[in-house]
Amino acid sequence: MFEDIEQNLLAVITEIPWSQWLAALFLLVMGLVLASLAARGISRVMQSRTSRHHSVLVRRLVFYTVLAIFVMAAMREAGFSLDVLLGAAGILTVAIGFASQTSASNMISGLFLLVERPFELGDYIEVEGTIGEVVSIDLLSVKLRTPDNLYVRIPNETLIKTRVVNRSRFPIRRIDLTVGIAYAEDVERVEALLLDLARREICCLEEPKPFVLVTAFAASSVDLQYSFWVPKDQVLEGRSRMMVAIKRELDRAGIEIPFPHTSLYAGSHSEPFRVELTRAQSNKQQDEIDASKTD
Amino acid sequence: MFIERDVMTEHTEALSESDPDATQAGGWNQDYTLESGQTQLHELGHLRLWLTLLDKEWQVRSQYHYEQADPAGWSMSTSHVLPGVDVPLQRFVRPDAGTQVRFLPALAALPTVIRPYQPLTIPAAGECTIYVGTQVWLQLRVGTRDTQLTELALTEPSLTWVGPSTMEGDLCYTAPSYGRMVLDAVPKRPWRAITPVRIRNRRIEPLWLDRFSLPTQLLPLFQNDQGQLWTPKVTVVCETDMNAARLKISSSLIPEAGQCHPLSPPRESSERGSLVRAFDRMFG
Repeated sequence: MFEDIEQNLLAVITEIPWSQWLAALFLLVMGLVLASLAARGISRVMQSRTSRHHSVLVRRLVFYTVLAIFVMAAMREAGFSLDVLLGAAGILTVAIGFASQTSASNMISGLFLLVERPFELGDYIEVEGTIGEVVSIDLLSVKLRTPDNLYVRIPNETLIKTRVVNRSRFPIRRIDLTVGIAYAEDVERVEALLLDLARREICCLEEPKPFVLVTAFAASSVDLQYSFWVPKDQVLEGRSRMMVAIKRELDRAGIEIPFPHTSLYAGSHSEPFRVELTRAQSNKQQDEIDASKTD
Repeated sequence: MFIERDVMTEHTEALSESDPDATQAGGWNQDYTLESGQTQLHELGHLRLWLTLLDKEWQVRSQYHYEQADPAGWSMSTSHVLPGVDVPLQRFVRPDAGTQVRFLPALAALPTVIRPYQPLTIPAAGECTIYVGTQVWLQLRVGTRDTQLTELALTEPSLTWVGPSTMEGDLCYTAPSYGRMVLDAVPKRPWRAITPVRIRNRRIEPLWLDRFSLPTQLLPLFQNDQGQLWTPKVTVVCETDMNAARLKISSSLIPEAGQCHPLSPPRESSERGSLVRAFDRMFG
């Protein structure tokens, strides 16, 4: 009995076309190596000539094309008929298509994103309240790295459907600050001070020119909009630096930045408020009164 | 033997050693030799630079000061005195045993926007030459192999934008002084290079010249006998009906520059010596 099993096993092992399988495996390994080499080579050539975004795209395209050719060759070598496989894949596609609508939608959205190019690798974008640097644009999703170093995956479909703000598309950005000054202050003097400050501060661009607008007579202050331009990589630093400089400049010039306060006014037609002045009681006296009450 | 700690403890003791008479004029492309433990102080433009040589390293400390609006000279002194700890420090491992240091100027890596003293109109088919002083950067080179340690701006550069809109255009530096039509009116400073810019208006309408973007990254630097820095003449031709201007960098210097020798090559090389750019990217 054991001899029969042994003979059967030997027959199975000897019947397997080992040379074909080895050749297929060799082709696969070769494909991987060549695809990787070709992708690296093309990426190196493109790096100096195009953007990082394009070079990554072409690198992936080259890698997968070369790999696909070798996989097909390996399968043919192993004895699979490609026609049968493709036919089976066609039937499978229908079945899988229903099961993977989301993935398919994301993939198609990804293609639209590639064509439309609303952002590139390295850009800072804002999607549904998430701000981050684009670190990868893939088949199904885009990955962001937020300023506090979180890794956020956003499906491509979301990017097609919702509003995407690209914060680094243009080389310069405008910063609008609201500056409130007391009603007693001279608005024109403050305007001149702020414009002079923008001229002196290194982070502010000389052109486009900075400007100051009066935007509101608010409850406690006259509100001014102070707008100036900075290079896109200095937005956070520029905003903070200018706010510190504004505070210092207005303090130096003796201009009041009011905090919210409320004035109670009875009006000319109404009776004046009755205000009663009472003598402040010390804690000790109050304790004695409380103690006598409890007695 | 001087190591880092030795110099720091030397700080207070060496104060008495400093000799104010040792101050002398500095210059470009000269070899200065330091001994281990010595510190050389250079005051040029709005920059104060302390360069210290130790047994194993070079130390560079720099700070901007604005006591004078337009400092004229370049003073240099050597001592064992170090500035306070509030001055930022950069440390570099010594590339070789050489103890010499050399300073080379380099023009801005971005275009520089120049302005005439007041906006100027160049009539149709007219031309004018304006002279402008543009800021230079200091390249610090040390050792026998002339290794560049760092590069420092001689005054904090401010930026501006030149282009038809806020979407299209170039970030440029602003020139620290106005362009003048008379060469003598341009203040000569060791930390600025003088560039003559000839603008020819071939259009049928007058050209209002408020500002002009000079491609400083394409200009080489020369030095004359008086130590002044010069660049070749730049000619800008505003073409008749195209919305473009042609820019040509001359291969030689103007005679007013005197006897000059080359000092620094341009940061970028222009392929044909002439450049055609959109009119509004050049004149704002």
